[in-house]
Amino acid sequence: MSRFIFTLPELGEGIHEGEIVKWHVKPGDKVEEDQVIMEVQNDKAVVEVPSPVNGTVVELKVAEGTVSVVGDPLIEFEVEGEVPNLPDHGGAPEAEAKQEPGCDIGSQVSANANVALETPLAQGATAAAAPVDRKHILATPSVRKYAREKGVQLALVTGTGKLGRITREDVDRFLAGGAASAPTAAVPQAAPAASQAAEQPATGIAQAAATPTVHYTAQAGEVEERVPLKGIRKAIAKAMVKSAYTAPHVTIFDEVDVSALVEMRKNAKPLAEARGVKLTYLPMIVKAVVAGLKKFPELNASIDDEKQEIIYKKYYNIGIATSTDDGLLVPVIKAADSKSIFQIAGEIAELANKVRERKASPDELKGSTFSITNLGSAGGMLFTPIINYPEVAILGVGRISEKPVVKNGEIVVGQVLSLSLSFDHRLVDGEPAQRFLNYVKELLENPTLLVMEG
Amino acid sequence: MVVGEFTTEVDVLVIGAGPGGYVAAIRAAQLGKSVAVVEKADLGGVCLNVGCIPSKALIHAAHTYEQAEHAQAMGITMENVKVDFAKVQEWKNGVVKQLTGGIGSLFKGHKIQVIPGEALFVNEREVRVFHGYEVNRYRFEHCIIATGSRPIELPAFPFGKRVLSSTEALALTELPKSLVVIGGGYIGIELGTVFAKFGTQVTVLEGSDQILPGFEADMVRLVERRLRKKGVDIQTKAFAKGMEETENGVIVTAEVNGEEKKFAAEYLLVTVGRRPNTDELGLRDIGMNLTDRGLIVVDKQGRTNIPNVYAIGDVVAGPALAHKASYEGKVAAEAIAGLPSEVDYKAIPAVVFSDPEMASVGLTEKEAKEQGIDYLVGRFPFAANGRALSVNAGEGFVKLIAEKESKLVLGAQIVGTEASNIIAEIGLAIEMGATLEDIELTIHAHPTLGEVTMEAAELALGHPIHVLK
Repeated sequence: MSRFIFTLPELGEGIHEGEIVKWHVKPGDKVEEDQVIMEVQNDKAVVEVPSPVNGTVVELKVAEGTVSVVGDPLIEFEVEGEVPNLPDHGGAPEAEAKQEPGCDIGSQVSANANVALETPLAQGATAAAAPVDRKHILATPSVRKYAREKGVQLALVTGTGKLGRITREDVDRFLAGGAASAPTAAVPQAAPAASQAAEQPATGIAQAAATPTVHYTAQAGEVEERVPLKGIRKAIAKAMVKSAYTAPHVTIFDEVDVSALVEMRKNAKPLAEARGVKLTYLPMIVKAVVAGLKKFPELNASIDDEKQEIIYKKYYNIGIATSTDDGLLVPVIKAADSKSIFQIAGEIAELANKVRERKASPDELKGSTFSITNLGSAGGMLFTPIINYPEVAILGVGRISEKPVVKNGEIVVGQVLSLSLSFDHRLVDGEPAQRFLNYVKELLENPTLLVMEG
Repeated sequence: MVVGEFTTEVDVLVIGAGPGGYVAAIRAAQLGKSVAVVEKADLGGVCLNVGCIPSKALIHAAHTYEQAEHAQAMGITMENVKVDFAKVQEWKNGVVKQLTGGIGSLFKGHKIQVIPGEALFVNEREVRVFHGYEVNRYRFEHCIIATGSRPIELPAFPFGKRVLSSTEALALTELPKSLVVIGGGYIGIELGTVFAKFGTQVTVLEGSDQILPGFEADMVRLVERRLRKKGVDIQTKAFAKGMEETENGVIVTAEVNGEEKKFAAEYLLVTVGRRPNTDELGLRDIGMNLTDRGLIVVDKQGRTNIPNVYAIGDVVAGPALAHKASYEGKVAAEAIAGLPSEVDYKAIPAVVFSDPEMASVGLTEKEAKEQGIDYLVGRFPFAANGRALSVNAGEGFVKLIAEKESKLVLGAQIVGTEASNIIAEIGLAIEMGATLEDIELTIHAHPTLGEVTMEAAELALGHPIHVLK
């Protein structure tokens, strides 16, 4: 019998933290290897984590709702047989290492220097800027105090001093929004890690972050509740800011008479139901979009900022923005160009279910080349969608409503669908974007053409 | 309202006038607040009255006596060197009185009101203060809890006539012939050393495998050697089980390395740690968050879950050290005054007034290794320092830890004369983000003990002057 502390494992590429949403075991429980012991939510999905050992649960080290980072101790087992040789084997504490407060000051000293406690202080200032990547944040106590007074988080400030040391002037520069103009030349080669980070061009993000937000303080009788920004919400916040501040968005609006499409769906519905598929307009729109992307490849592309290259994608993976209780997620219809409308309809329904139950795999949530967002089902009409960066365009689908349309010189009642297309003006210009939209409209207006071209 | 209860209103009410509370009170007053301090005993708290200061006075007295006895090596012979322990205590009490009196005048100067008595929270805006038969209510905008800690009492060894806590041990007016100390932490070792130097037969029982378990073994070895030379019996892996009181002493039973042994002495001193004084304030009744160990949960400004109530020092997490309490006291007072202060230190130094002294700040070599840091060590002996030899204190060393690539100073441990003072420089170095070169290139006056840090930095960089690589 020996003790084993299980730490939060890597949950996927680039995923460093997760919220422990549920424990399936409690102290005293017997567990078998591979039995699910907890659910961890990262920014994309809920992952069930199995027990690495056979044994008995001794202690849960974190409560439900805790956000842990990879390597944090989560649970301790009394192990039957061999302790597995996992890379992040935490090791059990010595049984006799009893805490004697006040007695062993040497070891206590650094203990609470690293305790992270939340402070209501100056949080507004740093909403979205990315921390500078470096090993140490070097700043003298007086500069640290100055930064606190100004509501600046030093983690976000580029240091221009020796070894990347942050000076009072660096804090001022950050406040002035000029993180970019920091004299990168002054960063000596002595600190390669720090200087690389320093050379990252400042974006609007840094500027947006530089102005401290002054939060109104609730007066008597005004109740507010503060909850941590975490999990999916945090991921959405980050992604939206990245997109909004990186890609110059242009949105164009349009309408299309889809009476024929409505008619076609009416006819196809029983056929679909016979195949166990609920047919909505979305798969048809997906089809039309894919046909459009084939004609206008610049909308099925990305910009590689680092290499200054444009990536034209010869595959058509369509992201479908899906609303869940926890926030927006975008499952992906892979190779939509090679799938039938029925197949796409079935897949959309399946993925939406998975996503809402938080069972979608990370694979099903990445790799999209163009996204579609649908507010029509909620009654929306025109809006300005935010691009699912690093894609370069997104189609916003509004509702279909009855409107007067002119046909052959006569006013008739038409079924009109509103569309909003946002695109990244760095890569896509207004005219081709409109021509793409015109083509999509044409296909939706003439379902026969959709069948032929799609 | 109870008859005779008066309600007084203040901006800031501080509970406890120890090194956390009195510093917080003064800073709050400096920032324009009206301040009152509740204190059940004496101004200055444990630190000034029954802790840091009186123990250091006794340590100095014991050292002076020892020096007188050992001056022959320098050609000085003193005869009839005697100790009048009652007089030693009188001198010590004078030192304490001077310092506590100093706090009284500071309070007066800052118009801080002192309320004698014990505080009990009525709600999150009010306390009752009990003082003899008198009860008064105080209403506050903000409150700072700074009630500190007290020695842990072991059920098998209840404090009494023969069983002493550090408080009573510091107040003994006669030197005991023999003393058993349970707990070889810094308090037990400091006091044990005092009495051993004055001639008491001292036995130390420590549960772990070395005394002063928080410090590295090669440092502790020097302290242990001195203690043994003074005739101190050090028993490690010793678990005290029980005791019986005799007419003029105690017999302590302990399991040492699995073997039962008995230790007889005139007095027993129990120093197994301290517990926070949070159990008699009515904190749970007002819904305050406490940990299992009774520590108050606070954020980086010292704010508890009750937004207008703060807590600092030994009642919150971290080492029970006076200098940490003072630091947190200033932060809490500034936060109350609306300043954006928060607890923001890179390292808290720790010192032990053993013989020789020990001090530590930042990372130890062991911690650097555990954290997977690629580090450099400069270990410079006091024996190669002129000043150390000339004050007959060639024992000891400084061990400087720095990151290998950047040469950033990460920590230092010192064992040797004046280690407690020398460590301050490394604390500053860590806060300033200094490198080994920064220390090396700073001119250190010769001949001083302070030169050891410069030499250790050169050693770590691979070009020491006064030792061979």
